[in-house]
Amino acid sequence: MSKLKQALESGRFVVTGEIGPPKGVDLDKCLQDAQMLREHVTAINVTDLQSAVLRIGSLAVSARLIERGLEPVYQLTCRDRNRLALQSDLLSAWSLGIENVLCITGDHPILGDHSEAKPVYDLDSVQLLKAASTLNQGHDMAGHELESAPSFFLGAVVTPAAEPLEPQIIKMKKKIEAGAKFFQTQAIYEPEKFEQFMSRIQGYKVPVIAGIVILKSAAMAKFMNANVAGISVPESIIREMEETAKEDRRKKAVELAARIIRQVEPFCQGVHIMPLGWDELVPEIISEVGVIP
Amino acid sequence: MHATIQKPIDEILGYLKPDERVFVVGCGNCAAKCHSGGEPETQEMAERLKRKGIKVAGWSCTDSGVSLCKLSIVKKMLNEEHKKESEQADSFLILACGQGIHTVMDATDGGMVHPGCDTIFGGETVNDDFITEYCSLCGECIVEYTGGLCPVTLCAKGLLNGPCGGAKDGKCEVDRNRDCGWQLIYDRLIALGRLDEMEKYKMPKNNSKWSRPRSLAIGEGEATFKSLSGERKVASHA
Ligand code: SF4
Ligand code: SF4
Repeated sequence: MSKLKQALESGRFVVTGEIGPPKGVDLDKCLQDAQMLREHVTAINVTDLQSAVLRIGSLAVSARLIERGLEPVYQLTCRDRNRLALQSDLLSAWSLGIENVLCITGDHPILGDHSEAKPVYDLDSVQLLKAASTLNQGHDMAGHELESAPSFFLGAVVTPAAEPLEPQIIKMKKKIEAGAKFFQTQAIYEPEKFEQFMSRIQGYKVPVIAGIVILKSAAMAKFMNANVAGISVPESIIREMEETAKEDRRKKAVELAARIIRQVEPFCQGVHIMPLGWDELVPEIISEVGVIP
Repeated sequence: MHATIQKPIDEILGYLKPDERVFVVGCGNCAAKCHSGGEPETQEMAERLKRKGIKVAGWSCTDSGVSLCKLSIVKKMLNEEHKKESEQADSFLILACGQGIHTVMDATDGGMVHPGCDTIFGGETVNDDFITEYCSLCGECIVEYTGGLCPVTLCAKGLLNGPCGGAKDGKCEVDRNRDCGWQLIYDRLIALGRLDEMEKYKMPKNNSKWSRPRSLAIGEGEATFKSLSGERKVASHA
């Protein structure tokens, strides 16, 4: 059974990591990154053509993690597959030992490296969750019986700092009704705002894993503020970063991530650390916080 | 309204073989309103082609306000009013939408056609110089639940159950100058006091109603819509 599911159901605080599949066929580096997380996380997200850039698939990389005794959270986007392919990939995933699936909309192809691709979105993320839940119940979404059924642990995403927030909350509720059993969030930099969000959704009784993106520089913070929806890095953090000498940035990044984790820890069920290349810092962050997976 | 834009002249010239005699056809309705194939543009195209050394058999455009995509009209135009020039033509260059192109093909018994325009979308003529898209012709209208605004068309991803995480300041992730369709729908539902509609689960679309080509036969008292979702008969009122 999924360790992530067990941990969340038992109310334990979880730490999850993330790896980005490479653009190519050599998985050495990406599997090394995953290996580094082994002792520190409960499960590892595998992104699905993140930013709509062509890479090796999340299904294959998730399967490779399983071979190595690591537990993946298989990310599946609605961008590139119609309902036949989505359901089929889900069945394939189960056959490969994948239990955790994160159902997401996916960035629009126009933002990626194949901007002329046909955007599919045959299903949206709520409909995909519902389709996956239906598979769990032994049917496909057209109502036909499966010869044997999977038993996925389904997750979804939410953006706690979205403005306005209400549409996100409405959609979150629909995702829960469609079968989402846990949520991962967009990167959190304002713990107070996140706390407000958590109190608003208290009644939903669903585990929320807060997104932590390791901040590498002030420039990165400014870029995200200007371009990435649902992320706002406060001025004070940007200033802290600016005042840090270049050679101390990594230390600062660790300190900052650890501080945010400690701040959000009291009111959520876990953190999802997205290292964006600084994978080797994850163990340091975790030991600095002192959470035990 | 079918919005169209004229293709670059070099692309059009590339379609024509040396010695090919071409007849230029325009549309007095949509293409005229888009200034891509009304009477002045049709005449001008004929003259431009001549200046480039192309043999032009003639040109014609339907009357102002009259669509080219009606077979009886094009038959009359090409087989009666412009019979001689039309018969001399090896091909037809159509300055109109794809429906107009096919109408000319039908009217000339399978005549050789060249597209002179790109057909870009079906839209609302907001004013004489602005046309914008509000419907994608999906065959199964759901705007009852979205305050009259179409998520299939106004959301870049055609999402039916609410916004993705990409909207920022009410603008879409694909282009920060474009409104997020779901922000528009949300605002409108609030204004209408119908936000509860957004809370309801929307089923995936039946894409077989969107299968192409589709047809509509209008009979006495009954019309029949045909798509891969099957035949749908509806009452039709005289
Ligand atoms: S739901 Fe379909 S028919 Fe209705 S406006 Fe949108 S695309 Fe057009
Ligand atoms: S930002 Fe809004 S319009 Fe753009 S894809 Fe997301 S929900 Fe649709």
